[in-house]
Amino acid sequence: MDSGRPRRRLWHVEGARTLRSVRGATIIAAFAVGIGLLIMLFGEPYQVRLAVAAYINLILVLGLQIFMGNANVANLAHPGFMGLGAYLTSIFAVPLVIKKTLIPNAPFGLGEVQLGVVSSFVAAVSITGIIAALTGLVLVRLSGIAATILTLAILVIIHGVFVHWVDLFRGTQAFYGIPKVAGIETMMIATALVILVARLFKDSRIGVQLRASATNMLAAEAMGVNIRALRLIAWVLGGVVCGIAGALYAYYLGTVNARAFYFHAAFLTLAMHILGGMRSVTGAVVGVALISVAMELIRHLESGPVILGAQLPDLFGLGSLMLGVIIVLVMCLRSDGLMGGLELDEVLDRHWKRWRRGG
Amino acid sequence: MQYVAEQALNALSIGAEYSLLALGLAIVFSVMGLVNFAHGEFLGVGGYIMYAMALFGAGDIWMILPVCLLTVVITAVLLERVAFRPVRRAPATTGLLTAFGVAIILQNVFLMGVSPRPKAVPAVAVLNTTVDIGSFTFTILQFLEAGVTAIAIVLLVVFMRRTKLGLAMRAAAHDFTTVRLMGVRANRVIATAFAISGFLAGLAAIFFIARRGAIDPFMGLLPVLKAFVACVLGGFGSLPGAVVGGLVLGILEVVLIILLPDFLAGLRDAAVFFIIGAILVGRPQGILGKKAELGDKTA
Repeated sequence: MDSGRPRRRLWHVEGARTLRSVRGATIIAAFAVGIGLLIMLFGEPYQVRLAVAAYINLILVLGLQIFMGNANVANLAHPGFMGLGAYLTSIFAVPLVIKKTLIPNAPFGLGEVQLGVVSSFVAAVSITGIIAALTGLVLVRLSGIAATILTLAILVIIHGVFVHWVDLFRGTQAFYGIPKVAGIETMMIATALVILVARLFKDSRIGVQLRASATNMLAAEAMGVNIRALRLIAWVLGGVVCGIAGALYAYYLGTVNARAFYFHAAFLTLAMHILGGMRSVTGAVVGVALISVAMELIRHLESGPVILGAQLPDLFGLGSLMLGVIIVLVMCLRSDGLMGGLELDEVLDRHWKRWRRGG
Repeated sequence: MQYVAEQALNALSIGAEYSLLALGLAIVFSVMGLVNFAHGEFLGVGGYIMYAMALFGAGDIWMILPVCLLTVVITAVLLERVAFRPVRRAPATTGLLTAFGVAIILQNVFLMGVSPRPKAVPAVAVLNTTVDIGSFTFTILQFLEAGVTAIAIVLLVVFMRRTKLGLAMRAAAHDFTTVRLMGVRANRVIATAFAISGFLAGLAAIFFIARRGAIDPFMGLLPVLKAFVACVLGGFGSLPGAVVGGLVLGILEVVLIILLPDFLAGLRDAAVFFIIGAILVGRPQGILGKKAELGDKTA
């Protein structure tokens, strides 16, 4: 069979498809960045801080979407990769003077190394990618539930290394002194770029084949789809995006603690991902926006506010409880999430067509 | 010699605890294809009911144990009815994520209802007293864990092989549709599976809390994770696989406790998971798992 010729003949079709997904990504990114611009212009400083947290979560959820949304394997290792990105950035970027007090016995001579902001970012994200590739080699050998359990194991292993490799990661103590170079503008640019990457990946040849294999593994394999290789690519790309989320987190907060990269983060982002709809990039944006707002409202309730003169009791844990409720309800009632696998541009196009036909 | 014998029993009893949890997971999974991540929270349910009983003055151990078992069984059946029935026909990932949600809800109900901090449950600590046999030192708990688990497994095997419902459950693991065509009620098979898994988890809860002497809202997380790993290691959905996986995990853990130097002791869980990852590279289908063929139920 000559596989080269038909592909060349279809080149203009693929070009048009790429253009369409770039257009779609632009619409989604405009939506996501637009919210941030409004908050930047009219919001209070604390609302800007919340928006930054939401953007970091959005990048993380997009990293999750790249693998989980396309391969349809529930993944919980993503906070681990975020943590790797954050810690590695810190280790490279912290000034030497502070580093001497933080990790005086750093292995591999890392105690004497200090890189610039950009090179630290690149180095950290690359190493995260390499670690993702190594874990991915094991992961793609499993499928379905076993693969999910392995992602859990990966999260526990990464967290265990953070907490117990004190010489490099300072254990349970916080890592500080990281240059705070990222603001909300950086987050918006990064989010837009990651949305573009996620959408292009979803619509690419690899993404389409991967989604086909998630729907029917046997049929896809029979068509000659190399599922393992595709999953590995998605896993590494997803891990790199999670690493980027972590690096930006470190550059924004200036301090990093292993607790931020464990089950709570996993459940929070998982709920965001599920609420919006796993198969859609827009779903990630919608889920992050809704749950970020909801969590902030619930946070007020948790601390026992006074409403209409009545002192409500402390309800610590209510936020997490609601996350659980959201996950169960979405799964029972609408397992495809709010977006139902559609993208914003597809929804708009449908309405546009209907409106033209009706008018 | 003495040290070896003590550690061997230790490995066996820890392995037995994982086997109990893993068996419960495997039964539910084999029958309805649900990965019940909320299984670990059964430990929490058992623990908090013990705590509540002691709090209200019903501290007698012979009252606590049956009530604990019963509560966990009822919780398991109730959860199936409320949360897992709506997603019964859904793909495995949907069920898994629902179970995640249920686990988070239960954890935070414990947290909000009692306390985010650990609470002592001394009621069953009696089981953890040490006995000397000759020159060996053991705890009663270790014998109980190994013994009760063995009895539970034998009873389970008898149930699965000698009763009609057991036969239906074994058949359901292969083809649920045909089981229903034979006139067996699906709800009954699934409810039984949950009841059994709850009962085994209740036993595990008693042992687990006797060992630790305290409860906290998130105590189910790591044990259920290990039970999952035991299931994957043994071959997901296989009942003998769950037992073997649990035992292997227990042995691995004790060996690592002995071998790892003190400064690496904290990495024990990480090391266990790492070794298991390495085993799965060689045998992705698990120790007793079979390669899936066309038309088989797959994990």
